Amino acid sequence: MSKVWSVARAEYRNAVQSKAFIIGVILMPVFMCGAMLVQAFMKDKVDIKDRKFAIVDRTGQLAQTLVDKSEERNQWIYDPEEPGKQIQPKFVTEVVKAEKSPTTAQKDELQLELSDRVRKGDLFAFVIIGADTIDPEKADVKGADNKITYHTQTPTFRKLPNWIHDELNDKIRDQRFEAAGKDQKEFKELNRAPAFERQGLFDKENKEAKKENDLQTFGVPAGAMFFLFMMVMMSAPAMLNAVLEEKMQKISEILISSVTPFQLMLGKLVATVLIALTLSALYVGALIIVLNHYDVLHTVPVAMYFWFFLFQLLALIMFGSIFIGIGAACSEIRDAQSLMMPAMLLVLIPLFCWIVVLESPSSTFSRVISLIPPATPMLMLLRIGIPPGPPWWEIALSVVLTSLFALACVAAAGKVFRIGILSQGQAPSVAKLIRWVFSK
Amino acid sequence: MPRGCVYGFIGPNGSGKTTTIRMILHILHPDSGEIEVLGENATRASNDRIGYLPEERGLYKKMPVKRLLAYYASLKGMSSSDTREAIDKWLERFELADWKNKKIETLSKGMSQKVQFIACIISQPELVILDEPFSGLDPVNTEVIRQTIVDLKNNGSTVIFSTHDMSVAEQMCDSIFMIFRGKKVLDGTLDQIQAEYGSDTVRLRVADPSALERVPGVDSVRDLGRYQELRVSGDPQAVLQDLVPRTSVGLFEITRPSLHDIFVRIAGPEAAEESNHE
Repeated sequence: MSKVWSVARAEYRNAVQSKAFIIGVILMPVFMCGAMLVQAFMKDKVDIKDRKFAIVDRTGQLAQTLVDKSEERNQWIYDPEEPGKQIQPKFVTEVVKAEKSPTTAQKDELQLELSDRVRKGDLFAFVIIGADTIDPEKADVKGADNKITYHTQTPTFRKLPNWIHDELNDKIRDQRFEAAGKDQKEFKELNRAPAFERQGLFDKENKEAKKENDLQTFGVPAGAMFFLFMMVMMSAPAMLNAVLEEKMQKISEILISSVTPFQLMLGKLVATVLIALTLSALYVGALIIVLNHYDVLHTVPVAMYFWFFLFQLLALIMFGSIFIGIGAACSEIRDAQSLMMPAMLLVLIPLFCWIVVLESPSSTFSRVISLIPPATPMLMLLRIGIPPGPPWWEIALSVVLTSLFALACVAAAGKVFRIGILSQGQAPSVAKLIRWVFSK
Repeated sequence: MPRGCVYGFIGPNGSGKTTTIRMILHILHPDSGEIEVLGENATRASNDRIGYLPEERGLYKKMPVKRLLAYYASLKGMSSSDTREAIDKWLERFELADWKNKKIETLSKGMSQKVQFIACIISQPELVILDEPFSGLDPVNTEVIRQTIVDLKNNGSTVIFSTHDMSVAEQMCDSIFMIFRGKKVLDGTLDQIQAEYGSDTVRLRVADPSALERVPGVDSVRDLGRYQELRVSGDPQAVLQDLVPRTSVGLFEITRPSLHDIFVRIAGPEAAEESNHE
């Protein structure tokens, strides 16, 4: 056991003193904060170039609305705290004279001309309002000219079409109400949605149910699951590289002249677990400080920390041994990458179905998938995080099954490691790896 | 294999030297037969008493010298205090004391070789297995390591020494073991081995080496530049008498075959061909 510890200690020291770890611990949060700051800074860096668009109004009643509304809007495109500083682009209109019922040739000619102006940069976009747009009776009539079409070569700028749509919608609705002789104000009152609030359950002590907390309901379980995923991704594949590097640099032979291949693998696995636990302890510590600072520490139940560390331990033993085994079986990075794919799929299973589990944590699918070991650590943690959580026996069963599976992974990886660590040449196929696992 | 000797382990490439060494270290298990190492049979218990320097060197490039040696020593079960003392002693002896906190990647190739050698012997092993210990070393460092091997032997360690350099094997080894195609073909002291091959070798220096062609009784000629080596099957005196009229002879010495010559006789192309026919 002392040799396992020697290997683990050396691996741990190598890892925590490496640049990658320091970047992971210190620089990653710095980068993340930096990214947020850059985002916040860039939010104000809007392209304020005028967006000039042409209006072809075949109704003859709506173009003026867009002209008036754009002028009104252009009054409010300045920073209220810094008068004179423009923070939004101006919407500049150009009303194009249009026939109510043009011939096809006239239509084509106008559309082509406007499209060419957009291509040349003279216009940003143009909008064509069909002659039958206002008439509600023609809204569903096939062949009627009842559409508003927006044309641009910059479809990613959505503010202008959305604004045009909203303004025309309001105006058309007003006109339709007026034509029908109805009071739109009264309609709005009658159409008002009732107050709806999501709350928890009542119990004997609390006569008032608590208002549902999105952070607690969605943020904590999803955050815990993704955090666990991140920890696995940061630690287990790194161990594959470390084993492969040792093999490529011919260090393995010296090591296994002093320790058995199983001791060597176990030492590396212990190091993987310790490295990830160190990282997560640092992050969890920082998270507690932040939550406490914003007075929302109570949103993360204390038991969640326990389950997080327990499932993290099991996930690391499981995936760590698989990745270490793959590293030992390969002699080149390229081979390792191709063998890594199936292992990565195992890690990614929870990400394919977490939304389904989040929406229905007690469904048969959620209960079954969270009891299948490769997915258990992340999905059971997710289910535990969603109030009221799964029954205790499901949690206990998941821990037992995952522990057994993790031990099986260690045993299988031990076999692959023993055979693979000194093998050279082409990497074994998955079928051959399975044969190694069942070899004596 | 007697304790406290330097045992040369020779054989052509692919003959099974590394496989044998790995079996001694219990990294590989023999298909049949048994290997007893330092009184331990078929267990790895003896591995802590063995130091191993593989042919393909491997060191953690990012690790400082001192930490690397401490790690390798800990894998051999050495205590921390003994390790510290041993590291200082060996680094001092190999003139690497100033480099102990430097990373391996900053060391020259020769220095790295010496660090690897220290890692192999730091635990004062009873059995030291060295696979090509001098490869890539300059004469000065070669001499340092050669002297250390002699000291290890004098202090009671047994050294298995695998090499392709026959002259080094002749100089350093008390006994020689040769393996060819997985089978033992030589085992004994250099004297015993040479005696087995008799005095059929003539070392001579002639003005015109082409005169050595078609001399009756000469089986083979090896031109070594400064002198030539003949393998004769008849009377060497008759060979000399035959040569004198053809060219001037500056040196003529009847001697036993060198280890190199014996090696080539066993594993050379002619021998391989014969072996294939059999």
